[in-house]
Amino acid sequence: MVHETPSAPSLRRHPALAALLGLLIPGLGHLYLGRRERGAAILTTALALTGLALWLELTALAPWGLPFWLWQAWEARRYAQGRDPGTLRLLLTAAILVYAIGWQVTEIDLQRFVANAPKIRPFVVSLLRPNYLEREITYASVRIQFTMPCGPEAPGPPPTSSGPGPVLGLDRACADPGDPITVYGEGFPPNLEGELWFENTIGDRARLHHQGELVDFVAGPDGRFQATVTAPEVATEQPQPQFIEARYVTEVGPLQPSETARLVVYRMGETIAQALMATTWGALFAVLISFFAARNLMRVHPLTFALYYVVRTLLNILRAIEPLIMAIVFVVWVGLGPFAGVLALTMHSIAALGKLYSEAIENIEPGPIEAITATGANRIQVIWFGVLPQVWPPFVAFTVYRWDINVRMSTIIGFVGGGGIGFLLQQWIRLTDFRSASAAIWAIALVVTVLDFFSSEVRKRIV
Amino acid sequence: MDGKRPRGPWAKTLMALAIAIPLYIWSWEATQIDLGKLVQDAYKAGPIVGQLLRPSLLARGVQRDRLQVTLKVPCAPGETYEPQGDLDRLQLSAHCLNPRDPLQVTGINLRPNTQGRLYWIITGVEGRLRDERFTTDENGAFTVETDVPPLLGENPGEHRLQAELRWEAGSLNPSPALRTTAEKLIETVFLALMATTLANFFAIPLSFLGARNIMPSTGWGHTVYLATRTFFNLTRSIEPLILATIFAIWVGFGPFAGVLALTVSTVANLGKLYSEAAESIDPGPIEAITATGANRIQVIWFAVIPQIVPPYIAFAVYQWDINVRMSTIIGFVGGGGIGMELSRWINQLQWNAAATAVWGIVLVVTVMDYASALIRERLV
Amino acid sequence: MLQIQDLVKVYEDGTQALKGISFTVEDGEFVAIIGLSGSGKSTLLRCINRLIEPTSGRVIWDGVDITAADPRELRRIRRQIGMIFQQFNLVKRLPVLTNVLTGRLGYVSTWRSITGRWSRADVERAFANLELVGIREKAHNRADELSGGQQQRVGIARALMQEPRLLLADEPVASLDPATSHSVMKYVEQLNREMGVTVLCSLHFLSLARTYASRILALKDGLLVFDGSPQEIDDRRFKEIYGEEAVEVEIR
Repeated sequence: MVHETPSAPSLRRHPALAALLGLLIPGLGHLYLGRRERGAAILTTALALTGLALWLELTALAPWGLPFWLWQAWEARRYAQGRDPGTLRLLLTAAILVYAIGWQVTEIDLQRFVANAPKIRPFVVSLLRPNYLEREITYASVRIQFTMPCGPEAPGPPPTSSGPGPVLGLDRACADPGDPITVYGEGFPPNLEGELWFENTIGDRARLHHQGELVDFVAGPDGRFQATVTAPEVATEQPQPQFIEARYVTEVGPLQPSETARLVVYRMGETIAQALMATTWGALFAVLISFFAARNLMRVHPLTFALYYVVRTLLNILRAIEPLIMAIVFVVWVGLGPFAGVLALTMHSIAALGKLYSEAIENIEPGPIEAITATGANRIQVIWFGVLPQVWPPFVAFTVYRWDINVRMSTIIGFVGGGGIGFLLQQWIRLTDFRSASAAIWAIALVVTVLDFFSSEVRKRIV
Repeated sequence: MDGKRPRGPWAKTLMALAIAIPLYIWSWEATQIDLGKLVQDAYKAGPIVGQLLRPSLLARGVQRDRLQVTLKVPCAPGETYEPQGDLDRLQLSAHCLNPRDPLQVTGINLRPNTQGRLYWIITGVEGRLRDERFTTDENGAFTVETDVPPLLGENPGEHRLQAELRWEAGSLNPSPALRTTAEKLIETVFLALMATTLANFFAIPLSFLGARNIMPSTGWGHTVYLATRTFFNLTRSIEPLILATIFAIWVGFGPFAGVLALTVSTVANLGKLYSEAAESIDPGPIEAITATGANRIQVIWFAVIPQIVPPYIAFAVYQWDINVRMSTIIGFVGGGGIGMELSRWINQLQWNAAATAVWGIVLVVTVMDYASALIRERLV
Repeated sequence: MLQIQDLVKVYEDGTQALKGISFTVEDGEFVAIIGLSGSGKSTLLRCINRLIEPTSGRVIWDGVDITAADPRELRRIRRQIGMIFQQFNLVKRLPVLTNVLTGRLGYVSTWRSITGRWSRADVERAFANLELVGIREKAHNRADELSGGQQQRVGIARALMQEPRLLLADEPVASLDPATSHSVMKYVEQLNREMGVTVLCSLHFLSLARTYASRILALKDGLLVFDGSPQEIDDRRFKEIYGEEAVEVEIR
């Protein structure tokens, strides 16, 4: 791009003085040269950013303000020399400081981002394995009783479980926490793989460990195995009967929809229903309100015009508050559940649709109304044939679009107890049940994408 | 309108109704709509709405006057104890007592008509134990009947009884809620700004991959185009709040998680808008510049860039506006910004403070909405 | 001398735009190409500088086979061939001056051009060319602030920056009103007469072709159906080219 030399300012000033004044106080150099607007803008920017940095106690960021400070002084010098330095570089130097503040305020920490990446790995892996389907698995187990911790009296002989079927044996009759215990098995199906579990007196169960690893067993071709486990912690100091259990799969059922899948489908249905109800209620109220928010209809009288401003302001305020925030209030009001979500989404839909509808009314063309009035039609006929045909296509388009948005919103309204799939999703993420979370996320992606496509098709046809 | 309508529309209407009516009935059931509860329980919402209209904006500083005297618990029979402290203004009926003994506390020469409270400072126990409230009369005196808490007996020794008077004084200052709201709103705006800016570094290159007219129409070019668009659509369908929950696991609670969540959703949103803008550019100038013998870089610089910069800036500003809205709620799941404070205040039922935050959000969102509309109008 | 040999263009959708066209244009000629919409005029012009890749056939200009040129060579050839368009194809958001300067892109380095460091000579030449087409005072306006006729004159100035020896004009006046059409065509004619630039100009209306061209080529359904002087087109020929229903209209 080409810059022509701008016409030199009528009053020649001293370039060095302009720069010096600029260095002293940002913008002063420009004011001296008579460039009042630019000078004032520079001064305001400098004051605002400095104030912000002071208030947020980010004074360490001062060096990042240096480019702006120096450049505006340099700029004053160039103006004094009759050259035009352009605005882009001034904005860029100011942006350096703005972004430096932003970087600090938002606590951006790329090192943490990289270092903590392993934390998210299980999630990413699970994202590719949503658990819509699972197999019903039947287990069989063999138990053997022993004593923990060891009491003062001498332990009995090492125990053996009784048949029929596979039997377990231990190398000791009692153990203290941390002791190694050798578990023997025989009579198992050849080459069987299984897990070793511990069950305490009150029936709490946990997998057995040894040297930090979970203990599995594999039976040999003769149906025998031998494995070492570490005796776990127990809550009692009195010798109590405890159990070691060899657990193995006897039957793997066919793939079938999981409990997660059932919940996801159910809650997704609730989500869509919520959006549908909110859109319908919202549209009904919005249609009524939109007439009071249409400038061209309300300008007939100062009183109605005042009402127009009141309605518009209310709609704007309501629109600025995210439905999630409203949902919290409604949860207090009507309790946890989808109804609270419907109410929150309805309020937001009224505000959003009310604005769009009233703008559609403001945009109707007077031509057709004039033409139909000219045919001698009465008022109802004029509205029926002149106004409605102009208004309903945008109304329908906006409503369908709103439904689409409401479905998106209602996927998260459950985060604050407003029903829908959001509640489950949040739970699953918190409990790190990532495979279920993944199932919910894919369901959301599918439904939202399909609705997005559907709503854009409807809008294309109508408009 | 001549009466000879084809039958089609009626059949269609009937079919639509046949689908719609059960759908609505089911939806009504599924969403547990209960208009009765809405009306009956309105009283629950009343106080909240009332307080929401009275945000906490200004507050005076709090002045305190603290007096304390020592006392001995438990008291051996016949034991004498020499108390210390503000004995001239705070007088006890006895200074050597046993647990549950009645005790009369009298204060004189204090600030008149002022509310106060008694506290026990127990040796060996953290904090203070609250006791009776009192209000001084016009002479600055009060008398309170109480008894010695059993807890003092469990920690035998010297303890202190404290009388604290509190009153508001000084000039009106911004309330703590207002200060926090202002600080967090700034954080919110910056959060949106950083996310929008970071997202642009990814969205701009991706938008070229997602533009049909820029990608070659054969083989892998089309595959890349489809993959990019699918990525945009799938990511767009996941609300930033859900993303924030995930990023909070990754980088911990705080604004950084919010920035990352908004960045990802913004990449998808802007990527889609940008590639649509790139697809709708006028091919004429490209043809003309190519015909002058310009090379590929020159063609992009002179024919493509000037056409896409204004819509790109307009979309970016629009997205910043949307991101400010989003970052007002991203704090609900630990993503920083005003949402974190708002959810805390709501959980603690501090509705006045919550009102301050809500009105702050309304203000900032409205201003951003207006400013972004203004900038876009100028650009396009 | 420009030789077109058996040029064929079949689009991806199977449309046969050019079905084997051959002709020769001597230096300094003003050739008008006429025909109905869809007869292949635009395709023919774009095949010459390979904005559209011909399916087969050859385009030879001063002994150089354009159709066989590698990308680098093609750009060197293109910079000597000016082109103006029906829709002007200016970069609407850039100033007129920059639009004109883009005509030099084939001559300056990438770096100099994108940093806007045009040589003084190029800037002076741009102003001179704007002067020539009578809109010097619009140099700093945005291109889309100009009227259609003025925009086309910017297009001509841009083509002039290339110091072309051949000018391809694709329906240069089809979007303009009759009076403006003539003023634009006069500039094209001036280029041809005073600077000796060979002109290949597609036109929708025969009357304009009769007024300005020294030779007329007529296309119909991708075939060359007439090649001769303007005077040779009589009623019978006219109906052959434009169809039985057509009536000749005079553009004044």
